[in-house]
Amino acid sequence: MAADRLRFGFIALADAAPLIVAVARGFFDAEGLQVELVREVSWATVRDKLGVGALDGAHMLAPMALATTASGEVSPLVAPLALNLNGPAVTLSSRLARSVGAGPGAEGLARLLARRRQEGSSPITLAVVHPYSTHNYLLRDWLARAGIDPDADVRLTVVAPSRMTELLTEGVVEGVCVTEPWGAAAVAAGAGVTAVRASQLWPRTPDKVFAVQAARAEADPARLQAVLRALLRAAAWAEAAENAGDLAVLLADPAYVGASGEVIQASLTDLVFHRDGANAPQPAHAEWLLRQMARWGHLSPAADIPTLARRVYRPDLHAKAAAALGLPPAEPLAHFGED
Amino acid sequence: MRVLVVDPDPARAALVTEGLTGIVPLEVVQSTVFDPVQAMRFEPDVIVVASDSPDRDTIESLRETTAANPRPVVMFVDRSEPGLAEAAVRAGVSAYVVDGLAKARVRSVLEVAMSRFQLMSQLRQDLEKAKADLASRKTVERAKALLMKERGLDEEAAYRLLRKLSMDAGRPLGAVAADLLTFAGVLKGDGDGR
Repeated sequence: MAADRLRFGFIALADAAPLIVAVARGFFDAEGLQVELVREVSWATVRDKLGVGALDGAHMLAPMALATTASGEVSPLVAPLALNLNGPAVTLSSRLARSVGAGPGAEGLARLLARRRQEGSSPITLAVVHPYSTHNYLLRDWLARAGIDPDADVRLTVVAPSRMTELLTEGVVEGVCVTEPWGAAAVAAGAGVTAVRASQLWPRTPDKVFAVQAARAEADPARLQAVLRALLRAAAWAEAAENAGDLAVLLADPAYVGASGEVIQASLTDLVFHRDGANAPQPAHAEWLLRQMARWGHLSPAADIPTLARRVYRPDLHAKAAAALGLPPAEPLAHFGED
Repeated sequence: MRVLVVDPDPARAALVTEGLTGIVPLEVVQSTVFDPVQAMRFEPDVIVVASDSPDRDTIESLRETTAANPRPVVMFVDRSEPGLAEAAVRAGVSAYVVDGLAKARVRSVLEVAMSRFQLMSQLRQDLEKAKADLASRKTVERAKALLMKERGLDEEAAYRLLRKLSMDAGRPLGAVAADLLTFAGVLKGDGDGR
């Protein structure tokens, strides 16, 4: 397909900022690209539309891009750019936070769960945004560090990001792991308390990527480079402290993220959009995510992790666009994580 | 075969449900939101879900936890049925299918769902158009009345004048009538901020 207009999908989250900024501030226009952003309400639909070519590119959970390609059943995807680092946070309901006490670890929660087990109470429910998400693996790791078995000691469920506050308030879930601004929105609404941020557990945590079909990336490499240049410039704009106010106003638009501008602006401090080579898709990040998937039985033990990581994560495509803009090359990450 | 229809639009869900019961002997349950407990109890062979339902990601999480392991239809049919999954995604229909179900049966369910989704969007478009037509007719009536009053024309002449303005401007009658009403308002002093 060579339609003149490109259609990119996104979910209402702060880390869609590079795509939103590239449209709203004219970075795609400057590259001669016509781009229509399509807001979707589920990651599954983003993946399916990308898979059948109803979208030309998308804001995507990094593990989803990896899992989709690993499945071998649909069109393989490539991630030529990382959209952000950090951003996810574990937020506990105010009620639960009071009973487990302060501190970034889950030890208080482990004690509470042990007590509840003795009393024969029902397990508590925690929500993430998709099975194949950084959030799922972060929450699992946070629990496991305190000796909690995420598959046996709690109930893990999946909820759309924008519904997290509502479900915390109603007591349907007792804790969530979600990317900003929805963690900050829950706190601002008095529904929850931030227990730990991804940046505290795994500094510079990989989260969302820009994903395209591998076949399309190969079919029109020049146009992909133009898209990447626009996204890099948009990410740099989003990162700049002096633009934080304008960015918050832009994202607050109901057509984009649709949360309060003040909440969004407060939530941006933890996110990395561009600095220190953040947009380079680091195979070491992909390998870490794949190891997490294998750890929890979400990936076949036979999978060749280094090969799969490099098939999806394409630092070469990012490097070319960065060089064209005169950006310093990103330092390749030798290893990520300590598992 | 047991089919669960999840659609935030209850009217569309009803249309899909009605279409399915007509084609294959089966049990259908419809819901505007996906309730995992209800789903477990019903044990559907196929979940038909609207692409604009935020519950799709919740349904995907069941793939990890249930023995039945429902899979997204895109992955299920992609190779054996070229074009079907693509057409379904473009029509806004998604589905999850339990492994082992005959592909022909999946196809029939999907085709019904897709045709009903298309029918629904056609109905919505028709309704919008009918509303717009009605609004336009009212505008024309008001413009005609204005011309009759201000220019002392009879109804027939007022209508002919509007038609002429429309043809000269190459714009629809309703649009010309709306302009005329706006300008008349301005000339009378409406909407100038005073």
